[in-house]
Amino acid sequence: MIDAKRLQILTEAARFDVSCSSSGSARKNAGGMGNGYAAGLCHSFTPDGRCVSLLKILMSNDCVFACKYCMNRCDLDVPRASATPEEIAELTTDFYKRNYIEGLFLSSAIVKSPNYTMELLLRTVKLLRQTYRFFGYIHVKGIPYADDGLVEEAARYADRMSFNIELPSEKSLKLLAPQKSKEGLLVPMRTLEKKREIFREERPKELFLPAGQTTQLIVGATPETDGAIVRLSERLYRGAKLKRVYYSSYLPMVHDSLLPDRPAGQLREHRLYQADWLLRFYGFTADEIAPEGENLPLDIDPKCAWALRNLQYFPVEVNRAPLELLLRVPGVGGRSADKILKAQRYTRLTFDDLKKMRVVLKRARHFLTADGKYYGAKDLQTVRGLLAVAEQSGTCEQLSLFDHATAYSALTGEF
Amino acid sequence: MIYFTDGTKESFLTAFLAAYSDDEAYITSSQAQLALGQKSVFVGANPARAARAEQRLLSFDKDCIEELTMLLRSGEPEREQLAFGYLKFLSEERRPVRGMLAKSEVLAAQECLARVTREIHRLHGFVRFLECESGALYAPIVPKADICDLLVPHFQKRLQGIPFVLHDVPRKKAAVCDGKRCFAAPLEQAQIVLSASETQWQQLWRKYYQSVNLPSREKLKQIRGNMPVRYWRVLTELH
Repeated sequence: MIDAKRLQILTEAARFDVSCSSSGSARKNAGGMGNGYAAGLCHSFTPDGRCVSLLKILMSNDCVFACKYCMNRCDLDVPRASATPEEIAELTTDFYKRNYIEGLFLSSAIVKSPNYTMELLLRTVKLLRQTYRFFGYIHVKGIPYADDGLVEEAARYADRMSFNIELPSEKSLKLLAPQKSKEGLLVPMRTLEKKREIFREERPKELFLPAGQTTQLIVGATPETDGAIVRLSERLYRGAKLKRVYYSSYLPMVHDSLLPDRPAGQLREHRLYQADWLLRFYGFTADEIAPEGENLPLDIDPKCAWALRNLQYFPVEVNRAPLELLLRVPGVGGRSADKILKAQRYTRLTFDDLKKMRVVLKRARHFLTADGKYYGAKDLQTVRGLLAVAEQSGTCEQLSLFDHATAYSALTGEF
Repeated sequence: MIYFTDGTKESFLTAFLAAYSDDEAYITSSQAQLALGQKSVFVGANPARAARAEQRLLSFDKDCIEELTMLLRSGEPEREQLAFGYLKFLSEERRPVRGMLAKSEVLAAQECLARVTREIHRLHGFVRFLECESGALYAPIVPKADICDLLVPHFQKRLQGIPFVLHDVPRKKAAVCDGKRCFAAPLEQAQIVLSASETQWQQLWRKYYQSVNLPSREKLKQIRGNMPVRYWRVLTELH
């Protein structure tokens, strides 16, 4: 059994990998322990609000690389620790059996060399699948510059793999992670995706990364704008077919003259995730979300910002709008759009109906009509002000249309 | 008129027929005190009448009885009345009505169903097994809805061959799986002897939980939303 001290070192070092998802794999239990849960499952939540789904751990934090932003870089005097494949496999299965976790997220610092490290990861995953007969979720980190053969073999046992790009441009990579390069990270991703497609066509019954690939970008450590980051994400989703891009707002854990001393705000990270959702689920393109050289506005969410720039599409009549248009209305998400579409088949929806159905109208009322009636503010400046106020209030309180004062102000636009 | 049921589906369906034409009907299984002047009647299960009601409702919507079962499991005080409103509206419309969300009876029932389904999903994650000396697993749970047995297939699939017990502590009952067969049993208090390594694994799990947290980003309100406080007493990492 691994001791508490090493567990602490190896998991504290892994917590900056923000990927926590256990979705996308429906791997079946083939006579051992565990299976996939396609929708993903959270097993706990830490006080910082993040979900605990996977046992996130490094094989070792004893790194030979010297990426400036990383707390495991070789020139830092920090406690070092390593675990054996047997220790990781035992920890995973015993945690899993008690239903603490949904699976394993296995990463590592670069120990000795990329190939040596990738071999260690591969041995652990094989041990889990073959000896321990573990069929739960496994996410393995791809080690840049490791041999394709090793990476491909790991992919046959893992549910998901990820190569972290970390810094959004080649220039920043050269500056802060001189041992890495853009191509060194993107090429293995593309190679894996090609293999995945080949597997799906030629051997559809065999599993090869059923949950695909992801990556992570650090936000705020380097000068790239949100516009550039959103474009990079769009290329990764549509070109490299990645399942997720995670954003990690920079938190200074090590001091370096090339790095900012202050943490990047979490609000910026939040706005990037909202933009990411617009790319993946709402049919937006990066060009619509933010110009390349600009950041996303912090006072309102990216969908509101787009709607204010494109008022020609609004207001939308809820009783006639198709799904793709409803999804573009600020404040209306997938669940609300689904409820509206279901209900509009049977009746002409009014604002009262929307309110009863718990469609959040705080933002949407400025961009919707229901049964021909509009309850939003009349001019752009007022709408923008109200949206910013709604955002700052932090609560999702439903606007009452029947409280006299509110109804009056909604009609007149005066507050 | 208040129609008291014994909490079973059959009793409810019998009461449903009796109360159908009563505009003032209120169906409940709770033993709340009556207000002065309120008339009430106890409706026991009548299998023949219940079967007739079930057949009739199924002819309008093949999934409505499954929805009724889930509504009655919800543990919410108004569950029978909520199901009554929904099924009465279904009988009037004589076609599936679950999409008519602008109708308050439908919305209330669908929201209640969503709460039950959400709790099942959440508990798949929030169950914490303790390993006993024999190798069997035991987990106390405190669900709001009566869903103990509905959690079994999920764990049965992933713990193939390992016997386990899910103990619904407030309802004093358990779902038991001996590795092959599963059954429900009343269980007031469990007497278990933990395995030799159980405490060490619990300590490692607590250490892990503390290590992955970023203390500079505390968001306690968010954690309460995602992991309601009622589950905390059985979560190993919080003790």
